[in-house]
Amino acid sequence: MISVISALAKREWIRFFRQPHRVVGSVAQPILFWIFLGSGFSSSFRAPGMETVSYLEYFYPGVLLMVVLFSGIFSTITIIEDRSKGLLQGVLVAPVSRFAIVLGKVVGSMGIGLAQVLLMLVAIPFLGLSLDVTGWLLLLLGLVLSALGFTALGFVMAWNMESTAGFHAIMSVFLLPLWMLSGALFPMGHLPAWLNSVMFFNPVSHALQLIRLPFYHPGGQLVAMAAYQVALMVTLVWAGLCLALALWKVSRMETGVAGP
Amino acid sequence: MIKIVGVNHYYKQPKGAVRQALNNVCLEVPEKTLFALTGPNGGGKSTLFRILSGLLKPGSGTVSLGGLDINTHPLEVRRLLGVVFQYPALDSQLTVMENFQIHASLYHLDKSVLERAMAEDMAWAGLRERLHERAGTLSGGLQRRVELVKALLHRPRLLLMDEPTTGLDPGARKAFWETIFNFRNRLGLTVLTTTHLFDEAEQADRVAILHRGTLLADGTPDSLVQRLGNEMIVIHARDEEVARQLEHRLAADTQVTVRRRGGEVRVEGATQEIVDDLLRQRQGLFQDIAIKRPTLQDVFIDMTTQAPEDAA
Repeated sequence: MISVISALAKREWIRFFRQPHRVVGSVAQPILFWIFLGSGFSSSFRAPGMETVSYLEYFYPGVLLMVVLFSGIFSTITIIEDRSKGLLQGVLVAPVSRFAIVLGKVVGSMGIGLAQVLLMLVAIPFLGLSLDVTGWLLLLLGLVLSALGFTALGFVMAWNMESTAGFHAIMSVFLLPLWMLSGALFPMGHLPAWLNSVMFFNPVSHALQLIRLPFYHPGGQLVAMAAYQVALMVTLVWAGLCLALALWKVSRMETGVAGP
Repeated sequence: MIKIVGVNHYYKQPKGAVRQALNNVCLEVPEKTLFALTGPNGGGKSTLFRILSGLLKPGSGTVSLGGLDINTHPLEVRRLLGVVFQYPALDSQLTVMENFQIHASLYHLDKSVLERAMAEDMAWAGLRERLHERAGTLSGGLQRRVELVKALLHRPRLLLMDEPTTGLDPGARKAFWETIFNFRNRLGLTVLTTTHLFDEAEQADRVAILHRGTLLADGTPDSLVQRLGNEMIVIHARDEEVARQLEHRLAADTQVTVRRRGGEVRVEGATQEIVDDLLRQRQGLFQDIAIKRPTLQDVFIDMTTQAPEDAA
């Protein structure tokens, strides 16, 4: 099973790096987004309770999350292309477990997003942020869990999608608001009650907490914090649920009916 | 090698309706046979192919490959199968070798087994120099041959192909079929291919005709052609009305069988007297008259014009 997962994941990587425009776009877009938006709002934005934090710094965890989210989910678009070409059928007729197929695709796609995030982590010392060893491990855990859950979600959405245009449209309507209402752009708290509720039930908010909190708390204290524990549990359950849904989709064989 | 018993399949349609794709199909394909499943588009070939390749569960009936039921032993059956799909299943961004390596992982092949198979098979297919080229840079014909090599790397007992020469020029089609015969002879394969090209089906050991989901015929190409006798007269009338009149007149003769499709009339079992009579009338009424040996295409036309309408 490991060799199947690694072969399918490796394919995603080779495809990614053989398309230079895709590499440049994926790396440059979040950096530009972060610098322009972060600098633009720096003079006018102060998060309540985080008055000493610049917007560039506040926005940073949100950009990290955006990269794993968007990169992971949009990498699963290859499922639609694979189906239209016959590549997917070639994998489905092979004697491999359906779980290996799901994991191979998800691990490969999330790996692309995580590699971009690792590049962006270079900015940490320039923002004046620091993490201890446990903090680093918890940050990486948060990034991996978020990438796993949302890439699996992309897999589920792409599985029955007929066209890449449809996938883009659905994701723009669905994914962008999820990210915007996660606390990536503005914090929860001083908002209308309905908006606070939406943000609380948004799984992306909890994924963001997993990424933001390690920057501001020592790793040892973090694991004992209720807010961190809730975020970890929600993100774990979310990732498990999305993976289970993806497995269910792939395992469900098309069946006709025996008669009228 | 393949045993299909009483397979029915209906597709669900909007508003609770169903559309029948296969109607009580029963078929056996012996080991090491090259079997062609032919028929018009929408006849049920692709549905049956998807059932055989394990992508679709039949509505009812049983299908076994190599003595194993495909529903109860899916993984074992998949190990027996090599599949070439109608649409290209190579990743165009990857080299030929990288495509093969992924296939080897999916079929749990050792590196040494893969390397030996690659070296042998690429040589047999005349593709030895192409191993490190990106699949997307190869011509359509070469890509199809690479796909064939890929499908056989794990040495399956049964090769399934779904209209594998679609979109290829005649030269590439010829090269593809030569490669198939080469592999079949070397590996002792059983091959089942769907095709709507009758010249391809005529190369097979056995042919089945599937029309509107019903199996109309199954036999060797010669035995199917023999059903139409040795020779027939094919007349292309000036227009459909002339063809209709001719059909009525000839049908009165109990010695001959007449079939008409539009302006074309086919006469089987005609006597010299009838031929002479037709030739005398040729002026102005017929575009051409030809005497020819029947082909699989004629068998197909003959059977589908008489086929029942029950399985749409």
